[in-house]
Amino acid sequence: MSVALLYRFLPSSAALVIAWFLLSLAPPRTIGPPWLLMVLAALALLWVGLQPARGRRDDILPALAIFISTLGLLMVARLSPELARKQQLWLLVSLLLVVAVSPVLGRFRTLASLKYLWVLGSIVMFALLAIFGQEVNGAKLWIRIGTIQYEPVELIKLFIVFFLAAYLAETADVIAHAKPWSLRANLKYLGPLFIGWGASMAILVFERDLGMATLLLATFSAILYVATRRADLVIGSLAVFAAAAAWAVHHFSYVQTRIAVWHNPFADPLGAGFQASQGYYSLAAGGLFGTGYRLGHPGFIPDVATDYVYAAWGEEFGALGALLLLLLYLAIVWRTLVIARNQPDLYTRLLAVGLAATLGFQVFIIVGGVIGLFPLTGITLPFMSYGGSSLVANFLLIALVWAMSAQKSGHDETPRRDTSLSMEHGSNP
Amino acid sequence: MKNKSIAQLGTLFVILFAILFARQIYVQVLAGPAIAARGQNPRHALLDQYRGRILAGDGTVLALTVKNKRVYPFGASLAHTVGYTSQRYGTAGIEDSYDSALTPPDTTGDPIAQLFEIAAAVTGKSAQPRGADVITTLNPSIQAELSVRMQAELRGAGIVLDPRTGAVLAMSSVPSFDPNEIDALFPALSIASGSPLLNRATSGLYAPGSTFKIVTAADGLESGIINMQSTFEDPGYFVIGNYTVHDDEGEVPGFLDLTGAFARSSNVDFAQIALKIGVATWYEYVAKWGLGESLDFQLSAERDRIPRRDDVFPGVLAQLGFGQASLLVSPLRMALVASTIANRGITPRPYIVRQIKRDGARSSFGAATLAQPISPETAQNVKKMMVAVVQAGTGTAAALPGVTVAGKTGTATNPAGKSHSWFVCFAPAQAPRVAVAIIVENAGYGAAVAAPIARNVLRVALQAVRD
Repeated sequence: MSVALLYRFLPSSAALVIAWFLLSLAPPRTIGPPWLLMVLAALALLWVGLQPARGRRDDILPALAIFISTLGLLMVARLSPELARKQQLWLLVSLLLVVAVSPVLGRFRTLASLKYLWVLGSIVMFALLAIFGQEVNGAKLWIRIGTIQYEPVELIKLFIVFFLAAYLAETADVIAHAKPWSLRANLKYLGPLFIGWGASMAILVFERDLGMATLLLATFSAILYVATRRADLVIGSLAVFAAAAAWAVHHFSYVQTRIAVWHNPFADPLGAGFQASQGYYSLAAGGLFGTGYRLGHPGFIPDVATDYVYAAWGEEFGALGALLLLLLYLAIVWRTLVIARNQPDLYTRLLAVGLAATLGFQVFIIVGGVIGLFPLTGITLPFMSYGGSSLVANFLLIALVWAMSAQKSGHDETPRRDTSLSMEHGSNP
Repeated sequence: MKNKSIAQLGTLFVILFAILFARQIYVQVLAGPAIAARGQNPRHALLDQYRGRILAGDGTVLALTVKNKRVYPFGASLAHTVGYTSQRYGTAGIEDSYDSALTPPDTTGDPIAQLFEIAAAVTGKSAQPRGADVITTLNPSIQAELSVRMQAELRGAGIVLDPRTGAVLAMSSVPSFDPNEIDALFPALSIASGSPLLNRATSGLYAPGSTFKIVTAADGLESGIINMQSTFEDPGYFVIGNYTVHDDEGEVPGFLDLTGAFARSSNVDFAQIALKIGVATWYEYVAKWGLGESLDFQLSAERDRIPRRDDVFPGVLAQLGFGQASLLVSPLRMALVASTIANRGITPRPYIVRQIKRDGARSSFGAATLAQPISPETAQNVKKMMVAVVQAGTGTAAALPGVTVAGKTGTATNPAGKSHSWFVCFAPAQAPRVAVAIIVENAGYGAAVAAPIARNVLRVALQAVRD
C-alpha cells in the first residue's frame, strides 16, 4: 500500500461517502436494496482500481461522474420511485460496462483505425431509428426493443466524435494550409468531414431532433476549429446550419410551437406552454436557496425526471444549488480539455476535445432550454436526467477520457503543469 | 499553436456557463417572485391546506380545512355569509373578503424565510406558517333559528344585528346551497332561477314598502313638519295628479293621529306626510341617513337605489313616503334603520368580523358610527310608534310575552308577482339588544309571514344574548 494508491482512491471514495449520506435522505423504499448499493460502490471502486496508474491520471474525473449521477439519482428518487429503481439498474449497467471495457480502453488509439466503422454504425442506427423509431412529441428519438427503450443519438454523438477526431487528425494539416479559395483542396479533404455536418442535418430533417442536431453541429465545429483553426470553415458550417434551422422553423410546426412557447411560456399555460410554465413556477419557487430537498413541488412538471430534472433541482436547491451543479459540469469539461491539452498527438487531442465539447454543449443546450435562454429541445442532462441511454453513453465518455489521462505523455515523460488550462477550476466536488 | 485553440474552447465554455448562471439568477431570484405570483401557479393551491379557520363569536368553527378540503360545518345555513373557496370558481363571502388574511403567507422569493423553513424542516418541525383565523360576530344559536325559519320559505333573507354596535349576529339568504359541494354545484347554481348564489341579506335590493314609513315619520318629526299630535284624514284613497294612492283592501281608516297612521300603516297619510316634507327636505334626509351610500361593510353589500331627483314628481314623492316607487334597499339597510331607532338616532356601522388572529398577533374591529340622521328625541318618538305597531297595529304577530317589541310591517308591491313580506323590529324596546330585518319574497302581507319569523328569531336571540 503506497500513498499513491491512497490518493488514487481518495476522490472516488469521498464521492461514494457523500453519495451514501445523500441517498440516505431519499424517500423511503426508493433507493436500494442495500446489496445493490454495495455492488454499485464496489463496481465504482473496481473501475478505479483497474485504471493503470501512469501519467497524469485525473482521478477526480470519475469521482465527478459518480457524484453527479448520485445527485441525479437523488432527484429521480424524489420524483418517481419507479424510475429510481430503473435508474439504479442503469447505473449498474453503466458501471458494469465501464469496468468491462476498462482493460481495452487503454488502447483507445485503435478507435482511429476503425474510423469508418463509426460512420457505418451511425448510419445503421439512423436507419433503425427511421424504420423502428417511436415518435414522441413530434420527434423520432426512441427505438423500442421489448420493454427497453433506447435513444440511439446518445451513442451516435460518441461515434461522430470518434470519426471526426480520426479523420481530422490525418487531414488537419492539409485543410489548415489549404487556401480558403482553393476549391479543389478544400473539397477533397472536407468532403468526408461533412459526414459530421450531414449527420446533424439528417437528425434535424429525419428525426426532427433540433437539440441533438445542434449538439452534433456544435461538437463538429469545436473539433474542426481546434484541428484547423480555420474560423471560415466553422462560420460557414454554422451559417448553413442556421439556414437549415430557419427552414425547419418554417416547415415543422412543432419547432414553431417551441419557439412560441419560449417567447411567451404563459400565453398558452394549459396547452403548449404547460411544461415550460410549470418549469418556470418550479424555478421561481426555488429562489436563491431552494425549498430544500423533498420540500418543493416539481411534480407538476410533465417529464420532470428527464427533460426537466434541472428545474426540479433548481426548485429544491435554489440558484446556489444550480451554480454548484454548473460548476461540477464545468469542472468535467475543463479537466477534459486539460487532458486534451496534455495529449501527445493530434488524434488523441482531438478525441478529448470532441468528448469535452459534446458533454459541455449538451449541458448548455438542455439547461439553457429549461431556464428559457433559448427554445427547449428535449435532450438529457448528463448523469442527472433519468434515462439509460444517456447514463451509459456518458459513463463510457468519462471512462474513455479518464483512460486517456492515464496515458504516458509521448513527448514528455515528466509531468509538467500546464499553464493555459490547468487552473483546477471548481473541481472539488 | 493548437493548444491555444483548446484554451479558447475552455474560455468559451466558461463564458457559456456564466451566461447560464446569469439567466438562472434572473429566473430564480430577480423575476422569481413575479413568476411565482402568477395565478396559474399550482403552488397557490398547495397553500390552501394551511388556510386559516373562520369562527363564530363563541369559537364555534364555521370553516376549516381538513386534508386539503375546505369544510363548512354549517353548510347551506351560512353559505352566503361564510362563503366558499374553490380552485375553479373563486371565492365568496368572508372567504373572499378575508382571503388574504386566511391565506398562509407565501415565502416565495424571500431568501431569509426560505432559510428558516429549511432549518425547521431539518429539525423536523413544520415551518409552514398558517393563515390567520377570522373570528366573526355570528351567534350560532341565533343563526340556527334564523336559518331554520328562512329555509322554510322559497326566497328571502333575514339579518340580526346588535343595534348598539352594528355587530351581525346572524344572517341568512334563501335559496341557499351546500358550500361543501361548491365545485360540483356551481355550474348549475350559476344559472339556476332564484339566484341561489346571491346573498340577498346584503345584496338583494327590494322596495322597502311600509317599513320605510319609519324613515318618513322620523324625517317629518326631525324636520318639524309634523309632530306627534298631527292628525290626518284617510278616506282610503288619495288622488294626486293622475295617480291614486290606495290603502289595502278598501280600508277606510278615517281620522288618525300620527301613531295611529303608523300603527295601521296608512299609505294615504304617509303620502301626505311625504308631500309635506317636500323633495328638497326628502333628499336632505336621504343624505343624512346615508341612503344610497356605502354601508362600509366588511362583506360586499349592494348600495340602496335612490331615484334621481329630476324624476321625483309629486306623484313619485307620495309613493316614496310609503316605500314604493323606484326606491330599493337591502335587508341589511332596513336592519340598520331599525338599529338607528333603537340606538337613539345613531346608525352603527355594521360589522361581522370581530378579530383576525395570527399566531400571537391579533387585530380587532369594533363599533363605529356610520351616520346620525335623527335626534334621540325623534328616535324615542318613532320607537313608541313601533311599539304601538306590535301592541295594537299591523305587527301583533311579532309580540312576545314579557318583552316589549318595537317593529314595523311592510308589504312591498312589485312587478314580479305577489308582494314581498317585510318585517323590521328590535327588542326589548326599553334597552334594545337585538334588531331584526326579515323579507320573504312574494309571500304577501308582512304581518302574515315575515312578522312571525321575526318573533321566533327575536325570542331565540334575546335568550342567546342574555346567556
